[in-house]
Amino acid sequence: VKLASTLALSVVVVGVLATVPWWGSAVLVQFGINALILATLAQSWNIIGGYTGYPSFGNSVFYGLGGYGVAVGMVQFQLPFAAGLALGVFLAVLFAFLLGLPVLRLRGHYFAIATLGLAEVMTAIVSNLEIAGRNIGLILPLVKGDTLFFELSLALLVITTLTVAWISRSRFGFGLIAIRENEEAAAVMGVNTTLYKILAFALCSIFAAIAGGIHAYWITYLDPTSAFDITLNIKMIIMAVFGGPGTIFGPVLGAFVLSAISEVLATKVTSLAGIFFGLVIVAAIVFMPRGFTDLIRRFRQQGWRYFQANIQANRV
Amino acid sequence: VQLLWQILINGVLLGGLYALMALGLVLVWGVLNIVNLAHGALIMLGAYACYYLFTVFGLDPFGALPVAMAVLFCLGYLIQRYVLNLVIRAPMFNTLLITFGLEVVITFLAQMIFSADFRTVNPSYAGANFLWLGATVPLVRLLAFGIALGLTFALWLFLDHTAIGRAIRATAQNLTAARLYGVNPRQLYALTFGIGAALAGAAGTLYGVVSQINPYIGSGLTGKSFAIAIIGGLDKSIYVLVGGLFLGIVEALTALYIGPTYTDVISFGILVLVLIVRPTGLLGRTA
Repeated sequence: VKLASTLALSVVVVGVLATVPWWGSAVLVQFGINALILATLAQSWNIIGGYTGYPSFGNSVFYGLGGYGVAVGMVQFQLPFAAGLALGVFLAVLFAFLLGLPVLRLRGHYFAIATLGLAEVMTAIVSNLEIAGRNIGLILPLVKGDTLFFELSLALLVITTLTVAWISRSRFGFGLIAIRENEEAAAVMGVNTTLYKILAFALCSIFAAIAGGIHAYWITYLDPTSAFDITLNIKMIIMAVFGGPGTIFGPVLGAFVLSAISEVLATKVTSLAGIFFGLVIVAAIVFMPRGFTDLIRRFRQQGWRYFQANIQANRV
Repeated sequence: VQLLWQILINGVLLGGLYALMALGLVLVWGVLNIVNLAHGALIMLGAYACYYLFTVFGLDPFGALPVAMAVLFCLGYLIQRYVLNLVIRAPMFNTLLITFGLEVVITFLAQMIFSADFRTVNPSYAGANFLWLGATVPLVRLLAFGIALGLTFALWLFLDHTAIGRAIRATAQNLTAARLYGVNPRQLYALTFGIGAALAGAAGTLYGVVSQINPYIGSGLTGKSFAIAIIGGLDKSIYVLVGGLFLGIVEALTALYIGPTYTDVISFGILVLVLIVRPTGLLGRTA
């Protein structure tokens, strides 16, 4: 019954969201595209960071490669959008494999820190590539129609979420969770940990790359610093952790809630918007380390003691 | 050969400063098991403290150093006491994320208060240099190098020969045993983080003298500090020094032979390479 009602609710929500471009204002639709793309990034990060327990701080690299796949394909080779997107995904997956093979051998926090500098490294490399327009960037052909991009982003988010839902109840997903909980034990139980980790990394790179490709085509302009935007890493991680890492709807919920709040802040008090994400993550780690979804579930039973219990559990 | 010698000198002088940058990170990591991603942001604050003490109060940058260290110590103490102590037993990913959040907060506050403009600290002797064995040695860089060495040595003395230092090392080895001997971990953790922040403040002051500063230098400096910590390992402050010198020389060589835009790529490459080949650090044990 629970599964059926969740499914029904999801279908209704997606259905309502899909109609937004027909009644919403231009501002709302543009906000929606950004929020959907961020939600996709948070959800794709969830695969490697939430389920596998390998918190990557460099996923904006995949996003950037997706964008550059589209930009280089369309501008330099006059390919159609879909072909550019395929090129971007190919680049991202290739990069995920090449990087993942050595870096995913590192445990948890070492992995996280090894990925910290990735965005800056890619920015430096792409700024020196002639085909990618060096540090000036590339201008893509203009297409009118926020509606198209809204529906594309929504479809991508739905597919990403469905994939995560599949992961959460598949053999593959159980393997990832086993790696997160105890990697040695997982290996002993017969999980091919290296293969699983790399597949998870590649899987999350696909969705991030498509998101980057869609965004680049929508904005019609791409340069190294915006493509490998470091703040994107910050946002996707914070959204996923705020919502609830390792859950199906947590990252999406986190992305929508935080996007909305930061959008309101940005229009009301501009200076607060920047600091907002930092404060949210500090507060979230202290008061609700298992995310928003866990808070909703437990708050009804425990009330305010929920926060107190969290602090008590982790303080010195 | 002449050029190479000069590059080597530059690299060594830079490396001393790098070592000081990493020292605070290594201390906090080794004792508290927190990888402080806000470390670079604290260095940035130290650099601004130096800048304002110099431009507003006319204090010599090297005279500003103790003041900056004191300010950063207090800030570090408060951060650990009232924020990080609340999450210190959480999984490492959570402490990593919370310092990441602190980095974001500090950087944005700095941008709001100090503005995003590039700043330089220019004392009257900024351009002074002398020749030594055919290589030009800039005076401020040499001074910065000397102070970095001195502070590294001072930390070693402090940890090895004072009661608090011994308590810190005992806590790093075995918290329960240290508690039984009367160590108050809340206070000690705060103290350790404060010392780490003070070292970051010192590194920032010296960085401000030899380089341009803006609110965004933090994350890059965290990365460098981390690379040095990994190269050297977490055992002894002398290893951090070796790691710093190594990175300084490699960066100087990279800037000459490959191009200055690639220095960050190279230091990151070294970091990843060392992590993969010798996860325990080139010289010692990593936590």
